[in-house]
Amino acid sequence: MKARVSVTHVKFINLRFLVLVLSSFTLIGFLPQNSFAEEKPAGLGIYEKLNDYLPAGLQFIDENYNQVDLKAVIDKPTVFALVYYECPGICSPLLEGVAEVITTAKLNLGTEYQVFTVSFDPDEKPKLAKDKKTNYARLVKNQDVEHGWRWFTGDSANISGLLNSFGFKVKKEGQEFIHPASLIVVSPDGKITRYLHGTYFLPFDLKMAVIEASEGRSGPTINKVLKYCFSYDPAGKKYVMNFTKISGSLIILLAVSLLAGLLIKNRNRNKNLINVK
Amino acid sequence: MSLSIARPISFYDTKKGLFSWIFSTDHKRIGLLYFYSIGIFFLAAVALGVLMRLELIAPGKTIMEAKTYNQVFTLHGVIMIFLFLIPSVPAVFGNFFLPIMIGTDDVAFPKINLMSWWMYVVGGLFALSTLVVGDGPADTGWTFYAPYSVRTGTNVTLAVLAAFILGFSSILTGLNFIVTIHRLRAPKMRWFQMPLFSWALYATAWIQVLATPIIGITLLMIVVERVFGLGLFDPSLGGDPILYQHLFWIYSHPAVYIMVLPAMGLISEMLPTFARRTIFGYKAIAFSSLAIAFIGYFVWGHHMFTSGMSGPSRVVFSILTFLVAVPSAIKVFNWVATLYKGSILIKTPLLFSLAFIFQFLIGGLTGLVIGALASDIHVHDTYFVVGHFHYVMFGGAGFAFFGALHYWFPKMFGRMYREKIAQTAFTFMFIGINLLYFPMFILGIMGMPRRYYDYLPEFTSLNVVSTIGSWILVTGIIIMVANLIRSARNGEKAPENPWGGTTLEWQTASPPPQHNFDTEPVISDTGPYDHS
Repeated sequence: MKARVSVTHVKFINLRFLVLVLSSFTLIGFLPQNSFAEEKPAGLGIYEKLNDYLPAGLQFIDENYNQVDLKAVIDKPTVFALVYYECPGICSPLLEGVAEVITTAKLNLGTEYQVFTVSFDPDEKPKLAKDKKTNYARLVKNQDVEHGWRWFTGDSANISGLLNSFGFKVKKEGQEFIHPASLIVVSPDGKITRYLHGTYFLPFDLKMAVIEASEGRSGPTINKVLKYCFSYDPAGKKYVMNFTKISGSLIILLAVSLLAGLLIKNRNRNKNLINVK
Repeated sequence: MSLSIARPISFYDTKKGLFSWIFSTDHKRIGLLYFYSIGIFFLAAVALGVLMRLELIAPGKTIMEAKTYNQVFTLHGVIMIFLFLIPSVPAVFGNFFLPIMIGTDDVAFPKINLMSWWMYVVGGLFALSTLVVGDGPADTGWTFYAPYSVRTGTNVTLAVLAAFILGFSSILTGLNFIVTIHRLRAPKMRWFQMPLFSWALYATAWIQVLATPIIGITLLMIVVERVFGLGLFDPSLGGDPILYQHLFWIYSHPAVYIMVLPAMGLISEMLPTFARRTIFGYKAIAFSSLAIAFIGYFVWGHHMFTSGMSGPSRVVFSILTFLVAVPSAIKVFNWVATLYKGSILIKTPLLFSLAFIFQFLIGGLTGLVIGALASDIHVHDTYFVVGHFHYVMFGGAGFAFFGALHYWFPKMFGRMYREKIAQTAFTFMFIGINLLYFPMFILGIMGMPRRYYDYLPEFTSLNVVSTIGSWILVTGIIIMVANLIRSARNGEKAPENPWGGTTLEWQTASPPPQHNFDTEPVISDTGPYDHS
């Protein structure tokens, strides 16, 4: 008598799903990672001091004549813009860039993060800071500029203390300063977490930098996902999707779910077999 | 008590015609489709290898230009790795025998299985098309190292796409085997009653599924960089060539185990049969397969000791490399212990298995020489490395493949091969391979670099020995192929179980019927290798 061993073919993985997954790996391969590196002029510029801490005791005066210890007022992710107020050069485009990104970044200024503009010219006074603040506040829409964007002036000792701790090298020539353009992001406990170079800032880069600075302590879950998927590319000076990390995680996730599916369903199959008997 | 008076209808007889083969979803037919296509590619790559050895018989230009030589060794490597070694054992013997050995009638996804063969064919055609299209085959070596692979004018894009498509074929086969082993084992067969070949395929399949997507992405990145000029690996575009090496070896080292693990599974099948003894240390062999697959993921850095890696990373990768030798050695000890006090039947499959152990030992131990930091600096990129991997890959995986081909030949083709001729072929091959590759160790230690068509005069005599070895090896291969072709046509009809094997494939007709078993196979409670 012929008795064929009968077997049901398993429809565990849908073919279309498989094709979709495999083709998504393909697409990930198309994302750019690095771009051209830029060179710094010798002596001047920014010598990044990532993961260093701002020292306590740096005294500055804000636009409302309050003298503060900078470290003490950093209680949330803080973005520093280092400029001088009478600057005829790149400071104005930089501050306009800041005003624009405050509007577009979809972050709440004053609660999720704050911006400190600090003058590195010891001759400038709070009155000037106040005027500048009023000017630039007009460029920002729908954000709490009054509490979230503070403008500081200070004496030369404190200024050089701040510049040194940021690795920010400037040089005075006549009445003007030669200086780099960058935003510096500091975490709530005073750690330098990111430099965003240039005078124009992408809302996404600012958001990522603030998420990084908050170190996962605040913000919605999506921020943690973003932080996992994107990493800072120092050569390209922007946040890029870390596709090797993402695709690696995807592959492992798929494999684990395959194994889990097989083990769980295998158990069901065995139960069924017993029932059949 | 075989009462088969009339020979049962085999899977060959159920359908006829070309279409019944190339669109078949029967695992046995797909296994044979793979066998024929892999066989053709293997012979082509052997021919390229012989040409390379001929070029190296004397210093200076002998039969080809430097660039041609570069293209020949690239094509030889690409075909041997991606078209022969990676698919060979799983796709041929895995497809044909895995379902039979675990007592089922097919793999879990027969259509995907057919698709994987078609992808293999398309990938193979892509690789071959580099011969005739544009500026000829790639000249980068099978590793496609960036930035050269990004800049060379040869057909890298096509070759890389070929490897990419072949990768998908490999993933699909692996996925199929994982699900088959989990879900379709005969109801009474528990995990530790599976034959060890299934364990080896299972471990291999996880590597195929997990590691192959990485090479897919990496190779696509090369294509993107070449076609769109995005800076990924080429430093002049802002890319990172070391990143390429990492990504490449994260796949390609585990891929070495895709090649050798199933071969080890074959040895674990053949030795108990011809020693008439149960395998020694069944569980140790099964778990060492998983251990090799697992540790194999973390050793890729040992390919990059000389290409810019921090000291601590090198030490860690070196230690891990030594660690992978432990499960490999466990297997070797168990095989030798299986032979001890067995009633040994000397047949060709056993000879190939013994040669495997001998050559795998040499290949494995020289692997430790290059896994150790200090000695690797000395022999890196020399013929020592070429000798090492040919011993492991050809002397190991290749010989296991040929052994299994003889072992299962009666089952696959329903006829016996001619034993004496087969043993003659084996003798030629065994002498040839050792003559061909052993001098490479000495040449490497003397400092002869790999991948050049020329060398210093003091290396001549050993190169001549090596080239002569290649002729002897090829003579053996020709005798073997001729013997098998002739035997498949008019060899003696094979009985159900010519070797006295104990696994399930020996409980069905030779060749098997369409659904593998006409009567339900008996699964032994005492494990798959009970010879008592």
